[in-house]
Amino acid sequence: MKLPRSVLLKVLSRSFLLQTSWNYEQMQSLGLVYTLTPAFRQYYSGVTLLSAYRRHLEYFNTHPYLATTVIGAVLKLEEQVQQGIDPGFTLGEFKSAMVAPCAAMGDAFFWGAVRPAAAVAALLWAFHGSLWGPVLFIVLFNLPHFWFRIQGLVKGYGGGVRVVSTLQRWHLSDWAIHLKQVLVVLLGLLAAAIGAAATKHLSVGIFWGLCVAPIALGLCTLMRRRVSSLLIIIASSLFLLGWFQLH
Amino acid sequence: MYLSALGITVAVAVLAGLDRTAAGQFMVCRPIVAAPLTGWLLGDVAIGLQVGAMLELLWLGRLPVGAAIPPDDSQVAVGCTFLAVVSQAQTGLPPQAVAAASLLIGMPFGKAGQLFDRLARLANARLLNKAELALDRGRFECLERYHLQGLWHFAAASLATLTIVVGGGLLCLPIFLSYLDGPLIQAAPWIYLLFPLIGIGSMLSGLKVPRASLLFGVSFVFGLFFLALR
Repeated sequence: MKLPRSVLLKVLSRSFLLQTSWNYEQMQSLGLVYTLTPAFRQYYSGVTLLSAYRRHLEYFNTHPYLATTVIGAVLKLEEQVQQGIDPGFTLGEFKSAMVAPCAAMGDAFFWGAVRPAAAVAALLWAFHGSLWGPVLFIVLFNLPHFWFRIQGLVKGYGGGVRVVSTLQRWHLSDWAIHLKQVLVVLLGLLAAAIGAAATKHLSVGIFWGLCVAPIALGLCTLMRRRVSSLLIIIASSLFLLGWFQLH
Repeated sequence: MYLSALGITVAVAVLAGLDRTAAGQFMVCRPIVAAPLTGWLLGDVAIGLQVGAMLELLWLGRLPVGAAIPPDDSQVAVGCTFLAVVSQAQTGLPPQAVAAASLLIGMPFGKAGQLFDRLARLANARLLNKAELALDRGRFECLERYHLQGLWHFAAASLATLTIVVGGGLLCLPIFLSYLDGPLIQAAPWIYLLFPLIGIGSMLSGLKVPRASLLFGVSFVFGLFFLALR
């Protein structure tokens, strides 16, 4: 029995609440059951629904945006099992095999690359007082976010286990590296904007702003040595306040 | 006015707190969005934008991977914007000065957010146990309700962090401003530049990108050259 589009839409909307009951024991398991429920109500009832819930109320933890890929494929597999097609493995085995790579790819791509790149691009605007900064951030971040959530469910449900090759075709790890390079370029531009603003305050030539790059790299070295950024901020702000108090 | 501002702040804090982990994750919780939103609703979007711009990069490199909980920069952003708007109305100090002072006071209190977030996740484990028990009894209609109860836990954690940030700030900020208002006005533009600069250092320290120093150096020199010509 193929799921109607309205049910898939409900599954998609519920996937936004996947982490609502996130816990240390089984992480997103209850969220997974909550997300699958509209589809399960189409497939099962009574005792079979109960056993379907039991089947999925076990450890589940992946990246929330790529979770729909796993969820779509799980729905397809449930459907195939109902039709008497033996996939050659259990649903639990399939989920275990999928969650870790999806988590690693999603973390590197979204948390490690898209979010910081969008934030620095937005800061370049916000730094000069433009309200387009926050808007730009929301748009830049949520375009890939929504695309992967929707495409994940569509490809997962459409392809079943073949979604693995779809995931490989997306080359998320490569994209993450390229986006991180873009991020470094944007950080350089932001440092230049800080340098220009600093020289403006001091009323000196803008090329004195070149000093900002070694300071940024020095701070980077300090933080690689596990010095807390909060500590650096408080110490340097107190130094500045003390300086202006004395002068 | 004070109570209505507090009510608005609480509403944004809950929205941002839920968006952080429990619902949506549209990144409304990021300081660059949450702080201007709070500022806008409180009638001073410029202060919110300054708080957000200063705070955004600092803890951005701390990834919410697996069981790791980064410091709650959302509540710091919302709480410090409230503190800055209230302080500005009371003292008449420049927006940059009150934004910098609020962050310097509010940020250390924000570390408490990690504790409350952890407590929310521990409380969620009880929901899971309840759900398993309900399944054993065949009452599977309860599962969705138990799952959604997690929203209360995350909302409570957000409110607890906000209370610490705002409460601590309201206690300490007047003392800070009464003793250091003079140097603060002069230091504020520098502190405003210092925050994103330390954020850049923090971001670079966590990136493992081939030829990062070269890319950073070239874009920095190009950017500065462009700004010099402008």
